Amino acid sequence: MAERHCVIIGNGPAANEAALTLREKDTDLRITMIGKERVGCYRTHLLPNYIIGKTREEDLYVHPTDFYADKNIKLRLGQPVKSVDFSKHEIVLDHKEIVKYHGLIIATGGKPRIPEPFLVFSDIFLTLKTVADANAWIKKLKQIDSVLLVGGDLTSFVFADALIKMGKTVHFVLNDESFWPIRCTPEIFNQATGALSAAGVQVVPCQRLKRLAVQSENSVHVETDSVSLTVGAVGAFFGLRPDVSFLARSGLTIEAGIIVDEHLKTDFDNVYAAGDCAQVFHPELKDYWVSIGYSNAKNLGRIAALNLLGGTFEAEMAPTKIFQMDGIKFNTSWWTEF
Amino acid sequence: MSIIDITVEVCGMAGDGTIAAGGLINEAMSLAGFSVLGFDSYPAEIRGFGRCVTRSRIGSSDILALADVTHVLVSLDDEQSISRVPFLSRPATVIFDNKPPGYIEEAQSLVAKLEPDTHLLGMPLHDLAVAASGTARGRNLTALGGFAAIFGASPDFFRQVITKKFKRKGEKVLASNIMSFDAGYNYAVEQFADRLQPVFVDATQTDTEKVMLSGNEAIGKAALDARLKLYFGYPITPATPIMEYLAKHLPEQGGRVVQMEDEISSIGAVLGSYYAGARAMTATSGPGFALMTELIGLGVMAEIPAVILDAQRGGPSTGLPTKTEQSDLHAAVFGGPGDSGRIVIAPTNVSECYKYTVKSFQFAEKYQSPVIVLTDFYLDNRVENVPPPSSTAGEIEDMTIGPHKDVAGSYVRFEDTASGISPRSIPGAQGFNYVATGLEHTKTGSPNYSPEVHMSMTEKRFRKLETALQDDLPKPKEFGASEEMDLGVIGWGSTFGSVLEAVNLAKQKGHRVGALKIISIFPYHRKEIKSFMAKCREILLPELNFSGQLANLIGPLHHGEIIRINEVTGVPISPATILFKIEEIIAQLASSRVHDYQN
Repeated sequence: MAERHCVIIGNGPAANEAALTLREKDTDLRITMIGKERVGCYRTHLLPNYIIGKTREEDLYVHPTDFYADKNIKLRLGQPVKSVDFSKHEIVLDHKEIVKYHGLIIATGGKPRIPEPFLVFSDIFLTLKTVADANAWIKKLKQIDSVLLVGGDLTSFVFADALIKMGKTVHFVLNDESFWPIRCTPEIFNQATGALSAAGVQVVPCQRLKRLAVQSENSVHVETDSVSLTVGAVGAFFGLRPDVSFLARSGLTIEAGIIVDEHLKTDFDNVYAAGDCAQVFHPELKDYWVSIGYSNAKNLGRIAALNLLGGTFEAEMAPTKIFQMDGIKFNTSWWTEF
Repeated sequence: MSIIDITVEVCGMAGDGTIAAGGLINEAMSLAGFSVLGFDSYPAEIRGFGRCVTRSRIGSSDILALADVTHVLVSLDDEQSISRVPFLSRPATVIFDNKPPGYIEEAQSLVAKLEPDTHLLGMPLHDLAVAASGTARGRNLTALGGFAAIFGASPDFFRQVITKKFKRKGEKVLASNIMSFDAGYNYAVEQFADRLQPVFVDATQTDTEKVMLSGNEAIGKAALDARLKLYFGYPITPATPIMEYLAKHLPEQGGRVVQMEDEISSIGAVLGSYYAGARAMTATSGPGFALMTELIGLGVMAEIPAVILDAQRGGPSTGLPTKTEQSDLHAAVFGGPGDSGRIVIAPTNVSECYKYTVKSFQFAEKYQSPVIVLTDFYLDNRVENVPPPSSTAGEIEDMTIGPHKDVAGSYVRFEDTASGISPRSIPGAQGFNYVATGLEHTKTGSPNYSPEVHMSMTEKRFRKLETALQDDLPKPKEFGASEEMDLGVIGWGSTFGSVLEAVNLAKQKGHRVGALKIISIFPYHRKEIKSFMAKCREILLPELNFSGQLANLIGPLHHGEIIRINEVTGVPISPATILFKIEEIIAQLASSRVHDYQN
C-alpha cells in the first residue's frame, strides 16, 4: 500500500466524527468507513418522530451521501465486517473481500440489548435502533391499535409519547430491568410512572413477563405476574450493548465493550475503539466505563482519530455523568438530560 | 399501471454465461410484453478471457436507443464489473456473488468501488448453483432468478425462455438450469423480502405481440423472405451471423450458402449469379469490403445487380473487430476507382434492417447496380423485439426490367433511356445475348474508349441513380420538425435512435428542435435535406466516425457549417451526449440573440 489507509468500522456518530477529524488533520490520508447498515449516519433520537410522520426520512440523516465523496472519504454501506486479523492488518468483509489498513478505528456502536430473562421472546420483540427498525414499526403500526413497551431507556419514553400522539393504546411494563443502565429505585419508578400516566400511557407494574404468545400476525397475548392483555406488538427498550461480535476471535480484549486505555487505544498498535462499543479506562476512577449517547460518541470518535494520528488526548472525563450498574460504569449524556 | 424505463447489464468474464444471461433477460421481458433493446459487447478473442457485457433496456413504450445509465448491474465477475461502475445510475442496484469461492482483494472488489447509495444485493450465486444443480455453471441463471424476484418479473417467463434455450440439450441440462434459476429466485424472495423493487408487476406493457430479433437475424430473415437463391461470403465479424443464419435456413427453401476463399471471390460470385439471373448477396465488414471495391466497379460498369451488406466495425484495417463505428460511409459511396456510382442505404433499426434488405434486392435489380446496405456492429448485434416482419409478394418480386420480345435479335443491352435504366436480359435467352464487360462500352456492349461514349455512358449510369432517387429510394423523414427551428439534428444508421431520443427530450424541455432521418445515403435527396436545413438556424450531425463522413457528403447543402459530433469510442453515441450538445448550441444561439439585440 503506497498511501496510508485508515479504516473506520462503523457509520454512527463516533465513526463519522473520527473520519471527519482524520480528514481535517490529514488531507492526504486514504480514509474508508465501512458500515453494516445500508443507510448513512442518522439521528437516532428522531426515529420516533419519523415513525409518526413528523420527521421526513431525509431529515434523519446527518449528511447526504455525496458529502463523504466531497471530503474524499470512501463510505461503504451495507457491508458487514466478518472478522479482523490484527496481525496482518486485514479486515475481512462478509462478502469475502480483504481490506488492508494502516490504522483502524472500531466504532460499531451498539445494538439493542435484550436482557437474559427476555431472550426467549427475542423473535417477538420489535426494537428501535435503526432506520430499518423504524420502517418495520411504521409498517406494523398501520395494522395495529395497541402496543406494549418493555424496558425503559430514553427512546422508549419518547416513543411512548409519539405512539399516544398517533392515537395508539400504549402499555408500559416497568420493572427492575427498566432504566438500564440506571438501577430502578422506587423514586425513579414513581417519577416515571407518574410521567407516563400523565401522558396517557397505561403502566403495567410487574416483575416478570411470564408468557408472550403470538396469536396472529398482529396480535400478541401477554401474561405478566400481575395482568394479562392482548396487544398488536411488543417493543423492547433495554438500551444497547456493544456491537462487537465480529471481533470475538480477533484477540482483542472485550468485556462490556472493547477494552481501551484512556487514549482509546486497544491492545494492538494503531487500533482504536470509540463510541458505544468501547469500554474506556478512567484514570481517576481506576476503572472502566462505557459511553452511551450521541454527544459522547462524537467526542470519543474525535479523540480516537487524533490519537491515531499521533496525539495523546484522553477521553473526556465527566464523572458526574458516570453511573454504575452491574459492576460497569456508564457515562450517559442523555440520562442527565432526561 | 406505471411507465418503466430500466436498463439492466450483465457483466462477466468470457465463459461465465454472460451473453446467455443477457439474452434470456431480453427474451423473458419481451415475452412479458415489454419493449426491449439489447446489445452485447464481448472480446474479439474466441473464449477464455476478456470482458463480456450485455445491456438490456426494458420499457413500457418504444425504445429508440441504449440508455446512458444502467439501473441494474448483475455481476458474474467482480473484477470485470468494476469497469461498469461509472455507468451506474444514482442510486443503482447491484446483484453480485457475496460468497465467491476465494477471497478478493479490495483493488479487485466491485463492491469497494460502488457509491454508498447503491442497493447492494449479495447472493451466494456459486453456492446456490452448486447446491441446486451440482455445478456452478448455472450461476448465471441463479443470478437471473435473483433479478426476476427482486424486480417482480414473472419467473414463468424466464422458465419458458430457459426451456426454449436448453431443451435441445436434453432433459438433464434443462432441469439443471431451471433448478439454478429457481434457487436464485427463491433465495431472493426469502432474503430480500424487505428490499424487493417489483417494478415490473404494475408496469404498463405493450400490447403488440413481438418477436426478438437482432439486426443480423432481421437481415437473414429478409434475405430468406426475398427468396434469395445464393449467398456467398467469407466469415468476418460482425457479419458472420448472417452467413450462419442463412447456412441454416437457406437450404430449406432451395437456396445455397457458399463459403468462398475470400471476399473478392464472394463479390465475384454474387455478380456472376446475378448476371445469370439468380438473386444473390454477400455480407462483409470493412476489411472485406475494401477487397470488394474493384469488383463493385465491375458491377457498376457492367450494370449487374449485387447486394452487398457492409457491417461496419472500428477501422481502418483489422481495426476493432468487436466495436462499432460508422466509418465506411466514404468507402461505400466512393470506394473504388472511377466514377462508380452505386446505391448506398443505411437502415436505422432492426425493423429497417429487414425492410431495406428486402428492398435492396429490388433496387439492385431494377437499377442494375450494386446496392450497399450499411449497417454496423451495434445495429447488427443489438436485439429488439419488433412486430413480426413480413413481406408481400409485391415487395419481393423481381424488379428486373427486361427487353421487349419484339427486339429479339436487335437487342441493345445498354440502351440510353430517359430513366437511364436499360432493359436487362438474362444470358441464354435467344436473341438477347450480350457481352458484359468492365471496359467502357457502347450501348450494345462493345468496348469503346471514345470521349463521347464515356461521357454519355457515365451520365446514363448516374441518371438511373437519379431515377432511383425520385422513384424508389426512401426519402428523408422529419421528426418533430416545424417551419422554424433553432436546431435540426440529422441522423443516419444506428445513431439515429439516439438522435431521435435526444431531440424528443429537447422538445420536452421546450427547445425548438427537430430531427431528420436519412436512409438513402447515396444518392441522397438533396431537395428534401436542403428544405429541412433551411428551417433550422443550425444543423447538428452526430456520427460514429472521426472525419464526419455524412457531414462531408451533404455539407454543401447547408448555408453554413454543419456542427458535428464525431466519436470513435467503439460504443454507440448516447442520447445524453447529443442532448448535451443540443442544449449547448441552443444556449449559444440564445446568447447570440441577446448580443444581436444589444447591438
